[in-house]
Formats: sequence, structure tokens, C-alpha cells
Amino acid sequence: MANMYLDLLAYFGVGSAHPGGFRLTQSILENEKILPVETVLDVGCGTGQTAAFLAKKFHCQVTAIDKHPIMVEKAEERFKNNNPPIKVIEGDAENLSFADDSFDFAIAESVIVFTNISKTLDELARVLKNTGRMIIIEMVVEPNLPIDLQKEIQNLYGICEVLREEEWISRLHQAGFTKIEMIKTPSTLSPSELQDVNQSENIQSKFYDLWEIHHQFIVQNHHFIGYRVFKCHLSS
Amino acid sequence: MNRSNLYNQCCNYHGQRVRITCRGGRVYVGEITRVSRNTVWIRPDNEFGGYGLGFFGEGFGIGFGIALGAITGIVLASAFLW
Repeated sequence: MANMYLDLLAYFGVGSAHPGGFRLTQSILENEKILPVETVLDVGCGTGQTAAFLAKKFHCQVTAIDKHPIMVEKAEERFKNNNPPIKVIEGDAENLSFADDSFDFAIAESVIVFTNISKTLDELARVLKNTGRMIIIEMVVEPNLPIDLQKEIQNLYGICEVLREEEWISRLHQAGFTKIEMIKTPSTLSPSELQDVNQSENIQSKFYDLWEIHHQFIVQNHHFIGYRVFKCHLSS
Repeated sequence: MNRSNLYNQCCNYHGQRVRITCRGGRVYVGEITRVSRNTVWIRPDNEFGGYGLGFFGEGFGIGFGIALGAITGIVLASAFLW
């Protein structure tokens, strides 16, 4: 199903298009230990800024996937001369084309909320090794979110479900993750400086209009909607 | 984006910090101070066009002009994103 917000991100080609931006990515990976022999999956890699960072910092074997062909094209452009090489695949987080127990580490940055959440979490648990761990940055709504605003969020971003913090934890448990920690970050949104942009030419005006609507929505409703970072393990 | 849409978008972003990419890949970041049918002026973040000096422009701190025809992309310099 087409998602105009995800099209917007693809056409504007903004690297690290998630709350906290690339600075948050760097900070959450700062203390992570990933060995060069380990396999890493970046789900919903976008233009590939995080995947490139992972490969550079840990010299690990990174596979990056995204559902949007324009994102894949821009990620390929970034990875062209990458050393170590990064494999990029056009693929669906809800139906991953990898065998069971393929990865040691997975990362998804504001990706799962745009999918069937339970289906994607099940898939991530399947492709992770039983010693595997995963970090996700996801949209979280506050308990006092009015129902009409919930519908507005779903329509604006083309998402099926918006979850509260405890609902995310419950879904992660249901998918088989046994140890779930929350990485401490500011949970409220603040604008990120866009420093990594690979913008397509001839972007239609409707995407600029959508960006403006999205911006106004966040300015007005930021106290109802935020994000959390979860670090999850399959075995405790 | 055609010239007319680009002009309209520059007008919409008047007074805001933007990131402009030009042909050849050159990038400028700064606040839009003025827009005409052919040119957008930005007051850049860095010292060029410095505060109050009117570098490359005819007004007080107007910044410098970029031909709309040279622009391949314009986007807000900072944003909330999911």
C-alpha cells in the first residue's frame, strides 16, 4: 500500500529520518559491542546512513533493506565504494527474505510503526540468532492521547496502529524477546538538523505541502506523541 | 520542480532556515531573506555574507543571491521527522 509520508522521505532523501536524527544513532551505538564476524541487519535503512556508520565503526557484515525503491537506489549510491561492502536489498520487513537465525544484531529506526507491527516483530525475532539483540527507535503515544488525534496520526502517516510504551513492550514479549531495556533519551521530539540529504529533482508540490502539515501537526501535538528506544534480547 | 513551483516554495520558506542544493552538488544553508522570480537570497549560517555586512547583496544583511535556475533542491534546514 502506498504511503505518501514514506514517499516524502524517499524523495527528499533525508539521512537518519527518525526522532533524534543521526546524533541519536551515534549515541545509542556508542557503547554497543559488535564484532567484525557478526552479521547485522538494518531494517528500513532509508538512504543508508546508519548502515554505513555500522560498517565503518564495527567492520561488521551489514545487510540493509528497505521497501522503497528510491531509498534502495539512494542507499546503493552511498554504498557504491564502501569498504567493508554493504549488501542492500529491496525487501519487506513483514516478510524478510532471510533464513531463520541469520543475524547477530538488528536495528530499526522509526520503521516498525509503519508496518504491521506484530508481523514485523515476529519476522525480526525469526531472523535473529537466539543470542541476537536488537535496537529499535519507535513512535510512542502518551496514554492521554485523544481518540480523534489517534485517527489523525494514522491517516497522516499511513500507519495502522499507534502504541503506548507498555504496548510496545508487550508486543516485543509476544514476539519472543525476553529481555527488554529502554535506552534513556529525551522522549519528547525536537527538530533535527538535516545534514545528510540526497534530494530527488522535481519533487511535486504536494510533498512540500505534506511536510508542512506534518510539521504543524507535531508543533501542535508534541505532548501526545514521542518516541522510545528499546534494546531487546531474545535470550535473557 | 519547475521554476514557478520553486519560486512559490522559496516564498513559503521566506524567513526560515533552508538547505539549498545547486547543480554540481554545492550546498548552501541559511535563512531566506528575499525572493524574486529568478533569484532567492539567503543569509548563510557561516561568516560569509556576515551579519550586517550585506555581502553579495544590496541590503543590510540580505546575504547572497542564488539563481533559481541553478537550484536542484530546497528543504528546511532542520525538521521533525519520523
